Amino acid sequence: MQSESHIDPKIVEEILKFSKNVINAPKLVSAPDEISLEVTPHDVVQEIDKTRLLHYRPLTERQHKTPLLISYALINRYHILDIQPEKSWVRNLLSQGFDVYMLDWGTPTSMDKYLDFDDYVNGYLDASVEHIKNESSAEKISLQGYCTGGTIATTYAALHPESVKNYIATAPVIDGWRDTTVISNLAKHMDVDKMVDTIGNMPPEFMYYCFSVLKPFEQGIEKYVKFFKNIDNKQFVDNFLRVEKWLGDTPPIPGELFKQWIKDIYQNNLLIQNKMYVGGEHIDLKKIDMPIFTQIAVGDHLVSPECSMPLHYAVGSEDKTLRMYPTGHVGMIASSLSQKKVLPELGKWLAERS
Amino acid sequence: MSSKPQALSSIGPMRAFASNSKKISTELIEINDDLIEFNKYLTEYYKQLADTWSVAQKKTNLKVPDVPQDVEQIEAFKRIWIDIFDNDYTELFDSEKFGENYGKLVSKELELTKHWNNITNVILQSVNLPSKEEIDEVYKEMHALKKRVSKLELELKKQEAKRNAK
Repeated sequence: MQSESHIDPKIVEEILKFSKNVINAPKLVSAPDEISLEVTPHDVVQEIDKTRLLHYRPLTERQHKTPLLISYALINRYHILDIQPEKSWVRNLLSQGFDVYMLDWGTPTSMDKYLDFDDYVNGYLDASVEHIKNESSAEKISLQGYCTGGTIATTYAALHPESVKNYIATAPVIDGWRDTTVISNLAKHMDVDKMVDTIGNMPPEFMYYCFSVLKPFEQGIEKYVKFFKNIDNKQFVDNFLRVEKWLGDTPPIPGELFKQWIKDIYQNNLLIQNKMYVGGEHIDLKKIDMPIFTQIAVGDHLVSPECSMPLHYAVGSEDKTLRMYPTGHVGMIASSLSQKKVLPELGKWLAERS
Repeated sequence: MSSKPQALSSIGPMRAFASNSKKISTELIEINDDLIEFNKYLTEYYKQLADTWSVAQKKTNLKVPDVPQDVEQIEAFKRIWIDIFDNDYTELFDSEKFGENYGKLVSKELELTKHWNNITNVILQSVNLPSKEEIDEVYKEMHALKKRVSKLELELKKQEAKRNAK
């Protein structure tokens, strides 16, 4: 009996090429600490505890009157909004003539475990807004909140509408019960009191776990296969390493803040029901009466569209715009789509109101 | 007379440690109980992962019954494999049974951590170092003080602004 086995020589060639790329990788790529994620020049204009307020240097001669403050998420760091010049959210807004500030939440340590929503909303964010108002002589500012930074910015806009001229909510975490992501399922079953009492701040390792279960095979295998296949493509490698460095760098979340976020948003869903309190003050979303622009990514697997969208319908604003984009959570802010579609639309809307 | 040698070491670490050593044995017994529970949830966790793998692999085999022969077929097979596995695992992680078991698993892990903290506290106290609870109290106090200072600073700023307006 004769057995016929046939292996396509191209397969062998591909395997050999792939193996060679894996062996050569350490020689071709930079070490993570050699990559700087600080892209667009900026000045640190205020520091409170571990937070820093960054003011980006203008790229145009004339600027719109109303400055824009970006409240980034609590997970990972603000660098994704300025990850590389061609995909930088910040640089794009600067080139459209906006005066851009960014609030860097910093790296909380064990002694910050009692920092809560009140400290973030009425403390750090409010102090940043006041600083910008003084520095720019503007009576009000434009505020953008991204992801969990959107939850913080939303509560701020409801508590301090007198300081916010325009509000941009980018994939904000609002309606926890409607969220269909894995994150929300894990959050709903978490004994957050025990967690914070025992370990204090939410450790980065736990965050890594939660994110590693999102599309585990695409993100855990295919992504790295693509990386080794493209090891000779300098631009691809540079972009990949920047995003990897950003993904691998998430600060702990202060215990009390994490506790209130999980309970009030995911477990009891208080914010969208207008039952949430921050620092003893009631959050009524109807008090958000300034122009609002809500940006949602249809393929968002971190904050599902159903979780963000209810904000558009819950606010008291008459001037409100809802935009949905065919991309994911990060794609909405750092991709060619964001440069070609998301940012030009936002810039147009904001320029008309700034 | 017989108590005197003991009294000589009353400020040393061994006496403090000895008087609290019962607490350590209690904690160790409780750790043992919690470990049994922890292993139960951990086994269920791996069972859920393994069952999902097996179902996803069967689905892949049904969809691609033949061994891929060339590069294009391997690429197509890989795409199907990733899509099926990602979908099945996402479905698992999204399910009530996974969420519930994972919640219990983490909870038991935290209880084990708590016992470990308690044992460490006994050792810390034997050498007159503050326990975790005592350090937490200091952090809490500092946080409250910082908040008070911020409020006072804000109040001062407002008063200064009022004075300047006059």
